Amino acid sequence: MKNFIKAITVFYTPKTYPRTIVYMLQTTDYQPAAYLKWFWRTQNFNKVIVRRTLNETKAAKQLLIGLYIGITLQLLLGLLYIFLWHWHNLAGGLVFGVAVIISYPIIWAHLITVPLVGARILIVHPKEKAKILASGRIFKKHKAIKIAIAGSYGKTSMKELLLAVLSEGKNVAATPANMNVASSHAIFAESLSGKEDILLIEYGEGGPGDVKRFAQTTHPTHGIITGLAPAHLDHYKSVEAAGEDIFSLAQYLKNKNIYVNSESPSTETFIQPEFNLYNQKGALGWVVRDIKINLKGTSFSLKKANKEIAVKSTLLGRHQVGPIALSVTLAEHFGMSSEQIIAGVASAKSFEHRMQAYQLSGGWVIDDTYNGNIEGVRAGTQLLIDLSAKRKIYVTPGLVDQGKENEGVHLEMGRLIAGSKPDLVVLMKNSVTDFIVKGLKFGGYKGTTRIEENPLQFYNNLGDFIASGDIVLMQNDWPDNYA
Amino acid sequence: METVAVIFGGRSAEHDVSIITALSAIIKPLELSKKYRVEAIYITKDGAWYWDEKLKDLDLYKSGKIKDFTRKNQPVSLKFEGGLTLVKSGRQGLRKSSRKIDVVFPAMHGTYGEDGALMGLLDMATVAYVGCDLASSTIAMDKILSKEIAIANQIPVTKFVKATRDEINQDIETVIKRVNANLSYPVFVKPTHLGSSIGISRAANETALTNGLEVAAHYDDAVLIEEEVPNLVEVTLPIIGNDDLTPALLEQPLTKPEDFFDFDTKYLRGGKKGKGQGGAKGSQGYSKIPAELPKDLYKKALELGLRTYRTVGCQGIARVDMLIDTKSTAVYFNEINPLPGSLYAHNWHAAGISSVELVERLVTLAKDRFNAQQKLATTFDTNFLQQF
Repeated sequence: MKNFIKAITVFYTPKTYPRTIVYMLQTTDYQPAAYLKWFWRTQNFNKVIVRRTLNETKAAKQLLIGLYIGITLQLLLGLLYIFLWHWHNLAGGLVFGVAVIISYPIIWAHLITVPLVGARILIVHPKEKAKILASGRIFKKHKAIKIAIAGSYGKTSMKELLLAVLSEGKNVAATPANMNVASSHAIFAESLSGKEDILLIEYGEGGPGDVKRFAQTTHPTHGIITGLAPAHLDHYKSVEAAGEDIFSLAQYLKNKNIYVNSESPSTETFIQPEFNLYNQKGALGWVVRDIKINLKGTSFSLKKANKEIAVKSTLLGRHQVGPIALSVTLAEHFGMSSEQIIAGVASAKSFEHRMQAYQLSGGWVIDDTYNGNIEGVRAGTQLLIDLSAKRKIYVTPGLVDQGKENEGVHLEMGRLIAGSKPDLVVLMKNSVTDFIVKGLKFGGYKGTTRIEENPLQFYNNLGDFIASGDIVLMQNDWPDNYA
Repeated sequence: METVAVIFGGRSAEHDVSIITALSAIIKPLELSKKYRVEAIYITKDGAWYWDEKLKDLDLYKSGKIKDFTRKNQPVSLKFEGGLTLVKSGRQGLRKSSRKIDVVFPAMHGTYGEDGALMGLLDMATVAYVGCDLASSTIAMDKILSKEIAIANQIPVTKFVKATRDEINQDIETVIKRVNANLSYPVFVKPTHLGSSIGISRAANETALTNGLEVAAHYDDAVLIEEEVPNLVEVTLPIIGNDDLTPALLEQPLTKPEDFFDFDTKYLRGGKKGKGQGGAKGSQGYSKIPAELPKDLYKKALELGLRTYRTVGCQGIARVDMLIDTKSTAVYFNEINPLPGSLYAHNWHAAGISSVELVERLVTLAKDRFNAQQKLATTFDTNFLQQF
């Protein structure tokens, strides 16, 4: 009862409620559909703002002011009806006035999306459309080798790796960070000088037809498919549907100059004989040998006929071998020297929250919280197997966006974790925790499982839980809008 | 769920250090373990005891709001009835709350806490508590007494002279003559009972010695003057255990003889004195862990540390400081600290024991000792009274 009253009270707390609404909008990138989905799923608005606070940007401030004005007007309207009922006997004035007053949280939670939708339809979309059309002309005219990088996971890492390696000998430009949709491609096209040798363009698929449209605009000459896994299943509905879209890149290129990560099991049904496959055994006819993995990174050599290139990378994990092998062999194919390639591989740095290792309280923490798919879990748990430690700890909240495959994916996740034999598994309590626990059981896990109600408290105090000799692998993130 | 009461603050020059030890190194990991209900008991500088959830917040002390808190709240009462129970009145004195304590975790540094005074109280209350008992705390916190016990047990110590505050105040010349007759300069002057290096100075001549004696006598009623060890490497060894001992790693403070290990270096500058480097927080980062010593010398110091811990009768946790002449490879016992600041968690981390594991082990050790003590007979029936 106390909690119910608390949950209701938040609706009518002027300081908290409008900020909560704007926070939800900001967290969902001002996407009305995602925001409304979250709004209607939320049972306790006291527990919405947990992981971060509202970033008071200009847009956020404008929305807050708009909300305050709107709510104030609605409250005044309600009071006016009550006033008219009291002093002028307006029939139904009391009931209607009270209804107007108590309904303001629901009314304004929805009305706030109207300016967003309006601005998107009237201003943003037409502008973006024009820019995308213009970028298509720029890409078509550009003489560079244009490498499109698509896949359910590992795209940004592949692109950054290629950028590091190829930049040692070529003039390379790449789409920045994980800016990978059509509007980002358009901004990227505007920034090009026209003198680049190679363009690296990341394709961030979000729904059916995206990859095909990106290819038609960016006119790639080469395509890399980094893997296929359940992701964005709220739009694609199935992995097969996502695969159809991602492999439309190969259709665009008529199956020529296509490089596919064959370590991703779901790609198997889409692979054509003309495709070039890469994996930890090699790429483009080069054979990988002597793989060594530790907390400092990954090293191995590549051999083809009489030629051998030994590379050392700070990137962590066996799953990096395939992408590094492809980068090395593509660089060699594009005419770079062994020295340039070796220096390029050595200069590649892991991206933030992607298998980033750092020391804490004498132990090692591997931050892979950016990961969000089962293949990443496979790679992470394999890394845990490959590394030796006095105590191994695996920390995860589970995966978001798994659609209908939610239960199956998390059972598999539990099995994979069990297989890596950590001494301690820490699960952040949420809707998928029980599936992971069940998966751990199926996988015969014999270690300790700890379920954390307060993930932030655990993350912030991780240093108190670990010591020298410990390796902690933290995978996946669970933003507030999935809580 | 067991209830652990953490007692901190107190009538001591190390009052503030105690707050940090309690809040960051003990209460936080105890709560993170989710195995205990943790109660915070704060003792003010004038000796009043308070018990409240709010006392777990460092900002209360940093902001000075603790004064408002103590003005507005009633001190806690202690009930010794089948153990220790905390009893607190509400603001209007109407609602009383009480809590039975299973284990006490003393987080007191210096006088009226680490020196055995608190342990005596807890023994009287018949409650389990973490760390050294009354006798070992008393010995450990008396630098002169601990050296004399070490000598009696063939544990090497540096040459020293002792002086009382009265001697220093009334006839400092005699004290200086005694030092000149028995020791060579430079010497260290130390208050006998204080920890955290408070009041310690290094004297290279009579003038500095005079100043050092006056400073030390300001803090304590007994003063230790000891010879500096040549070719010095200072090491410290945290140890936990009752009968089976677990040493952490030998730690080597990165200080030169002229900027020895004082309070500022340890707690305020976050690193090597005068440079403020080497670590971001408190005592972390001003030392090498493990100490860089030849294997044999490392082993010798480790064994001496463990032997000293046993000799003094320490239990639970303590830290043994030693001085090494690297040329002669002589290792001297310097002093023993029954409650290392912040439990020396940074060293335990390096040794493979996390903060959470450390406090859990210490609570278990406290219960083990208490249970063993409860089996001892402390009374027996006689007809003594009938004879009168």
